[in-house]
Order: sequence, then structure tokens, then C-alpha cells
Amino acid sequence: MDQLAIYFLDAANYVLILVLVALGLAIVFGLMGVINMAHGEFMMLGAYAVMVTDRHGGSYWLGLLLAPLAVGVVGFLIEEAVIRRIYARVLDTILASWGISLMLKQGIVLIFGPGSYSMATPIAGNVLVFGAPYPVFRLFIMGVSLAAVAFTFWMFFATRFGLAARAVIANRAMAGCLGINTRRLDRLTFTYGAMLAGLAGAVMAPLISLDPQMGLGFLVPAFLSILVGGLGSILGPLAGAATVGVTDNLIATLYSPVWAQLVVFAVVVVLIRLFPSGLAARRRREL
Amino acid sequence: MTHQSRRRFLGSAAAAGMLAAGGLPRFAIGGTKTIKIGAVQPFSGGLELFGNQAKLGLDLAAKEINDGGGILGHKVEILYEDNKTDPKTSVERTASLIRRDKVLALSGPITSNARDAMTPTLTRMKTPLLYATNYEGGACGRYLFSFNTVPNQELEKLLPMMNAKFGNSFYMFGADYVWPQKMFEAAEGIVKGLGGTVAGKEFTPWGVKDFAPVIRRIRESGAKVLVFALPGADGITFIKQAEDFGLMKDVTVAFLGFAETYLGAFGPGKGQNMWVTVPFVASDPSPGVRDFVGRIRAMAGKDVPISHYVMTHYNSLIAVRDALNRAGKVDREALIDGLEGLTIDSPTGKTSIGARDHHVTMNMYQAVTEGAGLKLVEALGPIAPRAGCG
Repeated sequence: MDQLAIYFLDAANYVLILVLVALGLAIVFGLMGVINMAHGEFMMLGAYAVMVTDRHGGSYWLGLLLAPLAVGVVGFLIEEAVIRRIYARVLDTILASWGISLMLKQGIVLIFGPGSYSMATPIAGNVLVFGAPYPVFRLFIMGVSLAAVAFTFWMFFATRFGLAARAVIANRAMAGCLGINTRRLDRLTFTYGAMLAGLAGAVMAPLISLDPQMGLGFLVPAFLSILVGGLGSILGPLAGAATVGVTDNLIATLYSPVWAQLVVFAVVVVLIRLFPSGLAARRRREL
Repeated sequence: MTHQSRRRFLGSAAAAGMLAAGGLPRFAIGGTKTIKIGAVQPFSGGLELFGNQAKLGLDLAAKEINDGGGILGHKVEILYEDNKTDPKTSVERTASLIRRDKVLALSGPITSNARDAMTPTLTRMKTPLLYATNYEGGACGRYLFSFNTVPNQELEKLLPMMNAKFGNSFYMFGADYVWPQKMFEAAEGIVKGLGGTVAGKEFTPWGVKDFAPVIRRIRESGAKVLVFALPGADGITFIKQAEDFGLMKDVTVAFLGFAETYLGAFGPGKGQNMWVTVPFVASDPSPGVRDFVGRIRAMAGKDVPISHYVMTHYNSLIAVRDALNRAGKVDREALIDGLEGLTIDSPTGKTSIGARDHHVTMNMYQAVTEGAGLKLVEALGPIAPRAGCG
């Protein structure tokens, strides 16, 4: 029983990070119809921002605060300079954001070199969870992710901004007709999505190797998550990340990481067949 | 359209094609008196650290050969091509280096899939490849020379030492591709011979970011030694997470494919007490190594990490010089005949190339990560390769 609880703790850890990445991706896609291939690189920027803060004598905590802001600014600028010119051209957004992804990666290579960096864990030590030692910092990451996800949901379901955003997701033209400033909303949403990715990178930074290629390892499962969960819904990534993350982690625990990847893809294929519009999709109302 | 403009069109199309193929042909400086070596190495795409290490060694060797009067009156020129860590690009670069630049031999690449992709082209065009990366063995043929280690050279002394020092239960964990698979095959044989047990063997796909399940399983297996073959960023991520979970208190790591480029990536005070067997340790106080490290530093700056990749690539070019001098003429077949059975003076001492298997016997060293460096523990003397050439 304790064993099982530990497995689920491991899985929850992975799922929460995945949710953080997938949520930003899903909001941007849901609201703006932009498939952001540079989302993984936003995450990478967040991690590097923490590392740079750390190198310049700032603490990890300061970095954690600054990283989402810095990545938010980058996201804002990219939206202004590139993304807003190609709304409603899905294929072009894929190409453009892929180009941005390459530029960000090469930018990092130019500034920091192609090698790996790593950071000290800011909270060292383990606590006993169900009789097994568990790193405190992992619990902290879970807390931060949970808080960020809760905040996002609060924002989308309990504020006027959220109401407007959901209106745009449901029907952009109609929302525009009702006087919602969709342009402002797009800008805010893209920035917020970037900030979420930056936060994910920042909290994960002490746990993984920091290198220019790091974004891809999260982007793929995050994409799978929103595919499974359903596009155009904010609950979707939650359901999707839970499915992908738990499957991956449990199979990796019980068999091996190689099987985990195979099984995840198989499960995704089956789920997309059974629920073509996603696990969290509302049942279409009869007209 | 007039005849004239069509011809002009064809001309510009051909020029564009040549540009697309990677620039205009490079004409050798000084007429025919230049030996060109093509280097197909990764300078982007993920493995640029290794490509840069290779370049350090090749640059130094070329400089020293030219400063010493060249080879049979010829200057040496190295033509670098970025293979983008990609097999298809490697083949394209290989073909253009041979056809267009008429290189005498090729150096590179790093990954086995790129090497295997290049081999048919090299064999067809009868051009020798000087491969200087540690690999899984079994790449044999007249046109292939390997200047780094194969599994037995890394494992045959390392595992008995781990067995004696830390315990006889081994867990093997690595990336899911040919090199770790073959490494672990060889390792299993050695562990059985020692009377030890293999507590587990598993592989992971690239790009995994959370190793908690694997770390848990390794701990539960009760293994004393972790035989580790997960290169690059993933390996660093694993070691970090294993330290966070306190795994390093239970197991000692035998790190396969280690290079000094990893040092520093783990962060201060991390990645300690990992054991390796390598053909070169930069902190080795012996005069040959100290001098070599000094020459690299003088050329490339004092902060550059110097791994065995630098030395093996350096060796490969020095071997070309000695082989051509031995053969007394400059052509591809003469180079191959000269290389077979050749012994060269490397920074770590005599290195000899097998006349039949084309793999090298060289001095190997046991070392351990300590502080911010690799500490030499024991000079193991020469270890002959079991190249798997049948």
C-alpha cells in the first residue's frame, strides 16, 4: 500500500509539471488558434533565467520570481513582432513558431555554449513519506505547480478577464461583436502562456540538466496531453496530462521507461480514436 | 528565350547548386602540395561539445605537423564540415568532401549511426575513415580505422576493481541504443566471470526528464555498483536526481563513456566518486600528458576542458603522418598500408594500430571524479581491443 502511494507521488510530481507546460500551450491554442512550437524553448528560457540569476549572486527564489516575468516579456515581444501577424493561419504559426524555437535555441548556444549546466537544489534534504525518503524540493515543485494551476483556473473561471477569454475561445467573432477587445486578450493570453512555461522551466531547473535542447523533452508529452485532453478547453490539459503522466510514470516504474513510451503512444492513439474531441470535451448539444 | 540567356540561366543555376552544396570548391593553397583531410564532425545539433573536442585535437596535430615541415613535403589542411549530429547530413558531407575536395582521408564522426551511414560511401569511394570515438565495436573493414576504445578496454579492469572495492552486485542502466546495449553485453560477461550478480539491466529512451521510477528500482534491487551508460544531458539529469534521492549513498557509479567535458556540469560538490576507465586523464602528472595539455591550452585557452577525445583525434592525424612517411608516398591505399601495424608515440605513450582489426592498443587509466576534476587512480598499462571483427 505504501509502495503504491509512493508510486502515485512520483506520478503526481510528473503530472503537475506536465500540466504546467500543457496549460500554457492549451490556452494559447484554445484562445488564439496558434500552435506554439516554441513553447518548450520558453520553458528553457525560464530555466536559464534562474541559472543566470543564480550566477549573478541572486538566490534561486529571486530567480523563480524573475524567470516567469522575463519569459513573459519575451512572449509579449514575440507576439507583437510575429505571432499577431499570422493569426488564423495555423500552418504558418507552426512554421513561424518553429523558426522562433530554433532562434531561441541557437541564441542560447551563442550566449551560453552548447554544454549542460546544472544548479544546486535550493532545498536539500529528504523527508520520510510513507516510510521512504522523498526529496523536499520535489514536494515544493508540486506545491508551486498546484498553486499555478489553481491560479490559472481562478483567473479563467472567476474573473471578468476569464469570462471574456472563455467567450473568445467559444466564439471569437461573436465575442468581438459583443465588444470584447480580442486583440488585447490575445496579447495577454500569449504572454500568460509564456509565463507559465517560464515558471515550469524555473521550478524544474534544479532537477534537470540545463541545455539548449531541453525544451523538446517536455513539448512532446505536453502536446500529447492536450491532444488527449481535447483542444479548445482549459480542463483538457488537466485530464490529458493526468492520463499521459500517470501512464508514463507507472509503466516506467513497473516495467521500464522504454515500454512506458510505447504504451503512452498506444494509449494516446486509442483515446483519440474513442474520444476524438478529447476527454474533457463537452458533449455536443443536440440542436 | 534566346540561346544566350538560356546558357546564362544554366550557369547561374549551376552556381546556385554549388552554393547549396556548401560553397564553392576550395582550392588548395600552394597547388598540389597539400594533403587534405575531411573532418565530418557535429558542430551543431546536440553533440557540438564532442565535435569541438575533436577539432581541438585535429587542429593541434595539423599545426604541429605543418610546423615540423609537413608530410613528405606536403602541408596538411583539415576541411571541417558540420554534420549537424545527423547521419544523412554526414553522408552528404562525406560524398562532397571526397568528390569535390578530393580528401585523402576522413575524420569523424561521433555517433555510431552517422559512422554506419558513412561507411558504404567510404568503402565505395575507397577512402579511409579515421574514427576516434569510443564505440561498441564491430565496425571493421579495410577503410575503417578506430583510434578510441571498444567495450573490453573500458570494462575489463573497471568492473573487477568495482567488484573488489564496492561489492559484487551490479545494476546496469543506459540509453536505449547500440553502444549501451553492447557495453552491457560485454559487462555481463565480465560480471559473471567475477562471480558477481547482475541485479538489473535496463534502458531508457532519450529525453526522459524524470528518473524517479528508475532510481527507486535501482535502490530496491540492492545493487552496490551502478554501471551507467547514459551520455549527454540525460546522464546529467539522472545523476542530479539520483543524488537528490540519496541513491549515491547506496550505490557507486561506474561511468561509461566519461569525458572531462562532463566535469563542471554537475555543479559544485556534485557528481563525486564516479569511477571511470579512460585512455587519457588531463590531470595525469606524467610529462607526456602535461606537455600535451600545455600545448592545447596555449592554442585554445586555459579554461577549455581536455578529454580523451582531444587526444584520440590528435593521435589519428599523427598516425596519418607516420603512416605516409612509412609508406613513402601520398595516396589512400598507401595510407592504409602504412597505418596497418603502425605504432605511434602518443601523449600517453606507445599506441599501436592492429594490422588486421584496425583498432588501437593503448594505455588505459583508472580514475575517479573528485572535486572539480578527474583524479588519476592507477595507470593500467596497455589494453588490447577486442574489436569484434570476427
